[in-house]
Amino acid sequence: MKATLRGAGPAFTIGIVLILGNVLLALLAPWISPYDPVASDSAAALQGPSGAHWLGTDMYGRDILSRTLNGGRYALQVTFLATTIAVAAGALLGCLVAYLGGWFDDVVMRVVDAILSVPTILALLVVVSVLGSGMWVIVLAVVVVYTPAVIRVVRGAARSVKSLDYVTAAKARGERAGPIVVREILPNVSDVVLVEYAMRASWVVLLISTLSFLGFGANPPAPDWGLMVAENRTALTVVPWATLGPVAALASFVIGLHLTSDGLGKRLGVDRAMTGVK
Amino acid sequence: MSIETGLAGDMEPVAATGDAVRVEKLSISYRAGRALVPVATEVSFAIAAGQTFGLVGESGSGKSTVARTLLAKLRAGSSITGGRVLVAGQDVFGLDPARLRALRGGTVALVAQNAGQSLTPSMRVGTQIHEALTSHGLRADRADVLRALDQVRLPNVKDLARRYPHELSGGQQQRVGIAMAIAARPSVLVLDEPTTALDVVTQAAVLRLVKDLSRELQTATLIVSHDLGVVSGMADQVAVMRHGRILESRPTAKLFADPEHEYTRQLLRDVPTLGARSRAEAVAPVAGGGTNQDPEPPSGTGNQGSDVLLSCENVSISYHASGPPAVDSVDLEIRRGETLAIVGESGSGKSTLAWSLAGLTAATSGTMRVHGDTGTGGDLARPVARRSRELRQLVQLIFQNADTSLNPRRSVAAAIRRPLRLFGTVARARERGRVEELLTEVGLPASFGKRLPAQLSGGQRQRVGIARALAAAPELIIADEITTALDVSVQADILELLSGLQKSHGLSTLFISHDLAVVADVADRVMVMKNGRLLEVGDVADVFSGPNHPYTASLLAAVLEPGDLELPQSPAEEQDWIDDNPGGWLEPSPGHLIRTWKGAGNR
Repeated sequence: MKATLRGAGPAFTIGIVLILGNVLLALLAPWISPYDPVASDSAAALQGPSGAHWLGTDMYGRDILSRTLNGGRYALQVTFLATTIAVAAGALLGCLVAYLGGWFDDVVMRVVDAILSVPTILALLVVVSVLGSGMWVIVLAVVVVYTPAVIRVVRGAARSVKSLDYVTAAKARGERAGPIVVREILPNVSDVVLVEYAMRASWVVLLISTLSFLGFGANPPAPDWGLMVAENRTALTVVPWATLGPVAALASFVIGLHLTSDGLGKRLGVDRAMTGVK
Repeated sequence: MSIETGLAGDMEPVAATGDAVRVEKLSISYRAGRALVPVATEVSFAIAAGQTFGLVGESGSGKSTVARTLLAKLRAGSSITGGRVLVAGQDVFGLDPARLRALRGGTVALVAQNAGQSLTPSMRVGTQIHEALTSHGLRADRADVLRALDQVRLPNVKDLARRYPHELSGGQQQRVGIAMAIAARPSVLVLDEPTTALDVVTQAAVLRLVKDLSRELQTATLIVSHDLGVVSGMADQVAVMRHGRILESRPTAKLFADPEHEYTRQLLRDVPTLGARSRAEAVAPVAGGGTNQDPEPPSGTGNQGSDVLLSCENVSISYHASGPPAVDSVDLEIRRGETLAIVGESGSGKSTLAWSLAGLTAATSGTMRVHGDTGTGGDLARPVARRSRELRQLVQLIFQNADTSLNPRRSVAAAIRRPLRLFGTVARARERGRVEELLTEVGLPASFGKRLPAQLSGGQRQRVGIARALAAAPELIIADEITTALDVSVQADILELLSGLQKSHGLSTLFISHDLAVVADVADRVMVMKNGRLLEVGDVADVFSGPNHPYTASLLAAVLEPGDLELPQSPAEEQDWIDDNPGGWLEPSPGHLIRTWKGAGNR
């Protein structure tokens, strides 16, 4: 993999650095943040940046830097879980649907169409209002909402692979659908799947943060980017960093994902395995 | 000025300035990382107006790269490292953009390999010709467009001009491409593998057309091809290229009669030929078709002895319930150890029949029975999913395009191991050894098992394809145009390998090809198909010496062989026979059967 990704360009490198930076900071947050992210200190409320509080404090006197560092943990965890499950399920189903075709294809794709026609945020709000806002509820809700889109994209890529001779050769040997999908088709759409993963992840992290912003995701006083923006937007003029901090963090993560997916697309778009360029 | 396109009709001005095209010590390299890789080295040639120059060579010889410099075209990353290209006395790489546009299509026109892809799919044919004319500042009304189409001898030009490219056949598309190329009366015509995608009959017609047109318009023509027969029939002078260098460049007759360079001799040796035996008689079809019916059963299945491996009767295959079947009541029989070839142009149903035997397309009706050596037998009319493991093992397929028949993400060893595991041909512990044996058997080092398909050449990939088929320990190999994508020297090696393996393993082969010369080389018996119907079947010697069905005769007559300095005489553009349905069979010699037909005049 390392060899295939070499030469994906500076955009790709910057993207990876942004992603890894965000992930690393979120992982290390409990050890590197200067204050407890939920500890309030009414004496130090609504302060601007200072030596003690680099990004200032919010209306409860909580350290904004500590909250921003910790604020990604929830969103990134949900994003990782939801995207991984959605892309894995979507890739498998997409290949299977493309390979089998016929009525199976028709049925699955009409279900996909139906799910895709429901506005994402509405669907999530309904699920959360009914089942509560536990992390796994949100993960599964995001999986249900995003898997169809992955199915559609992967199916498109798999359909062109399906008609290639090595798939025909496998069919002529009498291989079953499972091995054909896993051995012959899936490895050859892995470039599409990888790009799709990066794109989906950026949408999912935004979606999760939107939910938190609307009050349906993380619960106060937990530190979370979306929630922080919601809490502090009224004090935007007083302590701008309380809003800008989480926004900048979120934006850098999303931009990182986009740059990465762009670089991956450029690097893998021409299938290197096909052309023989190493 | 060179850009004046009116020159074409009148030879004088060009002759005065010397050759229409001069390539002088042209060297081209492309940049790969930090290194400069030479693509062409000190290539020189000249073409006078009215002359045709041929560039032959195998893939990677740089012939196309050199040809396209006449249009001042270089691939991205390539650059000229020496020499120059003069068209009508002008260095084409020194032209400003406006003059370059006038050069391309105006002074120099290109006919590429696949005209179907070079036409705009969403634009009517007439509109495209109109555009080709007006973009070079020529007056163009409807009559001019029709004249351009008429010039390339397309039928019903008024109707045709209103059609879209996909509504034309491959040969017609190629003609439209030529019509567009010559629309602006170019003084130089570049033909880059102009007929590689066409069947022999269409090829002969298209080449004849180009030759006549270039003579009429006095163009300087450059033809690039891997096909020595095509170049031999078209060019006045031929240059043989290899690794970017011209090895020898001489008048066509001399080059083919007495090649100087060892590589040229090797190439000529590797080209399969029909041989002298067939030419004279083949063009004389059986007289009185349609009258003299023979009640003999169709495919000569008289001897149903134990030496018959596969027998098919009345096989029809339809893709759609309505519409003509792709394969229409075909009988065939393959004896043990025999190579049966099916010959036909694209759309003849030959591949459909083969795929149906492999179980990939179900036959609509008819029986296909196989009688294996070890008593395994069964009905091949069943699709592969409903065949027993033994039956699937018995029939193995080798594909036309080795590039796409191997999974690019799996190693060579994995590709060969899969059928071993699936069919349980050898015990698991022996798999590794068996893979190495198979690789050695197809002439590859055992160490190639670790490689990915992309790290192999085309010929090596095809060898892996053969090894994969052998791994199943089959009795019948279906080889579907397996050498079409390969260079002649590689083709010769692969065919030799296949016939060697066939003998040592006692395999029977169904060999599908459009190349009559290859078939004459490898097959014991031949079947000729057109439009899903079997027209003729017999021993290779009988079929190639005639008498023949008129269709077979036209195929044989259209074959171009190296050393033939003339194109086949006016190949029949329109089919001059109609199918006699249901029709009977003629049997001019035992085992040689020809479907009866009616003359087109009797309609």
